Amino acid sequence: MRKSQRRRMTAIVRYVLLTGWAVVAFFPIFWMISTSFKPDTQWFAWPPFYFPHPPTLSNYLNVWFGAEEYAATQYAISSQKPLISLLNSTIIAGTATLLSVLFGSVMAYGVSRYRILSETRMFQLLMLRMIPPIVIVAPLSLYYSTLGLLDSMTGLILIYFLTTLPYAVWMTKSFIDEVPREIEQAAEILGASRWRTIFEIVLPLIRSGLVATFLFILILTWSEYLLALIITKTQVTTLPIELSKYQGTTEGRVYGRQAALAVGITIPLMIVGLLIRKHLARGFSFGMVRR
Amino acid sequence: MARIELVGLSKAFGSVVAVRNLSLTIEDGEFVVLVGPSGCGKTTTLRIIAGFIDANAGEIRIDGRVVNDLEPRDRGLGMVFQTHALFPHKTVMQNVEFGLRMKGMPALERAQRVREVAEMVHISHLLDMMPGQCSGGEAQRVALARTLVTQPSTFLLDEPLSSLDAKLRRELRAECDRLHQALKRTFIYVTHDQEEAMTLADRIVVMRAGEIVQVGTPMEIYSDPVNYFVADFFGSPSMNLLAGEIVQTNGTGRFRGAGLELALPDRLKSAQSGVATLGIRPEDVGVTLGGNGDIALPVRLVEPLGRDTLLYFDAGTERAFIAVSKGLDMADVKVGTRMALSLDPRRLYLFGADGRRLAPS
Repeated sequence: MRKSQRRRMTAIVRYVLLTGWAVVAFFPIFWMISTSFKPDTQWFAWPPFYFPHPPTLSNYLNVWFGAEEYAATQYAISSQKPLISLLNSTIIAGTATLLSVLFGSVMAYGVSRYRILSETRMFQLLMLRMIPPIVIVAPLSLYYSTLGLLDSMTGLILIYFLTTLPYAVWMTKSFIDEVPREIEQAAEILGASRWRTIFEIVLPLIRSGLVATFLFILILTWSEYLLALIITKTQVTTLPIELSKYQGTTEGRVYGRQAALAVGITIPLMIVGLLIRKHLARGFSFGMVRR
Repeated sequence: MARIELVGLSKAFGSVVAVRNLSLTIEDGEFVVLVGPSGCGKTTTLRIIAGFIDANAGEIRIDGRVVNDLEPRDRGLGMVFQTHALFPHKTVMQNVEFGLRMKGMPALERAQRVREVAEMVHISHLLDMMPGQCSGGEAQRVALARTLVTQPSTFLLDEPLSSLDAKLRRELRAECDRLHQALKRTFIYVTHDQEEAMTLADRIVVMRAGEIVQVGTPMEIYSDPVNYFVADFFGSPSMNLLAGEIVQTNGTGRFRGAGLELALPDRLKSAQSGVATLGIRPEDVGVTLGGNGDIALPVRLVEPLGRDTLLYFDAGTERAFIAVSKGLDMADVKVGTRMALSLDPRRLYLFGADGRRLAPS
């Protein structure tokens, strides 16, 4: 086989494999979106309807706005508060992520420049994250009960902040390591204090990395289920908890409603991802190319 | 204005000693070049002066005041880095005015000062650009402007030209020289390039393995090296160094090397017998086609450079024996031709087995 033929064959094989992978990866998303527009008769139909026929907004209107005419159907859910959950999720995940990235990056600076944590300690920090949340929920809920943090936004923000901090430190440290020391030294000798150097020089330089870290942690906190389930009860619910209400109990699985809610949960993340996509590409490839 | 004294400075990184008991006084307004091969401790010394590295022992005094415990920003120094170290996310203007902003200077005054300095180093047209859009030479000018604008008492320059091409280097070298003349400030310049050291320095400090080997004016270093290392390091092309021995017969010293035997001139003839190296700079070797000389060697390579011609001779060693001939008279000499070489007896150097210069003048 000639070189050009071999190259073409490799390209074909590569595209076939990637396309296959893309189909596997995107099918659930497609199915979720398609189901969210299906009338209830098509949720379980066999052979399946790949596209809703005719498409309906009833799932969305019922789930998100508790519209009466749709709420009256047999699949209506009594507690209609996804909009409040959306607000809760936004506040909790947003605040916890911001705190995590802010404190994580300052800590990472200390690790990168002053070695405030040894390699072993850094690894142990990451190991903290390896502990399954189920192990800590029981003692945590006891603590929280004493501290009056159960069923509160503060409680969830605090635990999300603490559990994602190791990721924030690890990720931002790798970005800070890439910033040449000399750039900071130049700022220092020109009269900048250490804090000023961090906030005016280092953090802006790694903003793409910070954005990538932010999105990564936002996805973790946005979709966290177990801790939210145990720590919150009625006052504060997040979207993943809301989503779980649509399966089981007396009506069976209400797929259409659940899909409509799931689409709503996914969209904010997609919007954030789209807004910051320029930074994401740079953030995820940081350090791979010499600039 | 600043007089800088380094007293008994030492610095080790783990088991590696970077600077060993170094003492040096740099006078106010002097242009001092620290020069030496990689790892000789020159950059470490500069960074200790700047305050980026803490010395393990010794004192740094600026105008008599011990500054060991002062932060870099409180030492009144300016530094230009090898990598330029411009802030990539700020425009050239913002880069240059950074130091003034840190000092709390009002915006109008800042803009005025930046414009003056930009004009001085010819970067006025770059002020709105990002550092990434500047060429290497332009970036280094910006870095220079950023330091100049703060009017430091002393300029620390850490191999500022080593990332530039030869032509730009010459240009910016002249620029540095001009700035030094104009500003009359103290300049401490680190380089591994002996040519840069020779052309810029009032005084050269030659370093090796963390210690000062020799301090002197460029001419002193060139014509009166204290040892083999300095003799070999300075000069382009390098000094010819022939290994051999000194033999004393009837009070007359002779140097005997591979294919060469030569009576030592009066000032060197009392040198003790033993292993030694004979040194002579290429420009002090006379070349004749035919005729007599101290040695006859075959030509290995001819390099006509225009103004001079470099002749490389085969001296039986890996390193060629080099002679410089004025003009292009020798440009057509065939490789392999045996030529007579005469060594100027006034310009011969002898180095002992330990590398130290024997019987220096």
